[in-house]
Amino acid sequence: MGNLYLVNKSYGENGLKLAKLDKEAQVVLIQDGVYVDARRFLGSKVKVYAVRDDVLKRGLTDRIANDVEFIDYNELVDLIVGNKVINFA
Amino acid sequence: MAQKNVVVTMNQAPYGSIYYTEGLRAAVGVTSGVDENKVAVVYLGDGAYFTILGVDRKDTDRYIGTLRKQGSRLVVERESLKEKGIKEREVAPEFEIVSRKEVFELINGADFVIDF
Repeated sequence: MGNLYLVNKSYGENGLKLAKLDKEAQVVLIQDGVYVDARRFLGSKVKVYAVRDDVLKRGLTDRIANDVEFIDYNELVDLIVGNKVINFA
Repeated sequence: MAQKNVVVTMNQAPYGSIYYTEGLRAAVGVTSGVDENKVAVVYLGDGAYFTILGVDRKDTDRYIGTLRKQGSRLVVERESLKEKGIKEREVAPEFEIVSRKEVFELINGADFVIDF
């Protein structure tokens, strides 16, 4: 059970900056959050997910940083239920 | 229900939306009631604009007064001030300036984190 940062675009940056300080952070880019640049987490222990549906319908599949894992809504619910949500979405 | 530790993050600039007051109203709401939950209000990113001395606070002073009377902390993130070009001496006295690390510790230690 760690901290799950839900990040959208309008003020998601505030959450991403905090997640950088959080060794066990998991981040989910949701809705327009998939536009936010997650490369800062490349090679770090922070696990970054993006909601697959939000990525596909915005045509961003090959624009998302490589080690971002795409998840569907069932997996998102599991993450939300299994962690303390820190919402910036 | 035991007393809970709640952080309310304020991420939006004043007057462009209703969030700058609604967040404070929610914070007051969290502290009221039998459990007298502990709340800290944290200004981040564009939220830092609300802490500037010149902001007209006639529609928020009541909430700020209530929160301070109950010992709730109202803090603004130092890095956000810097990123927005706000000098520390331009911050109104009601707001405590703290580091991003301390903001993270507040959030990490909270039972619930609500964003506005």
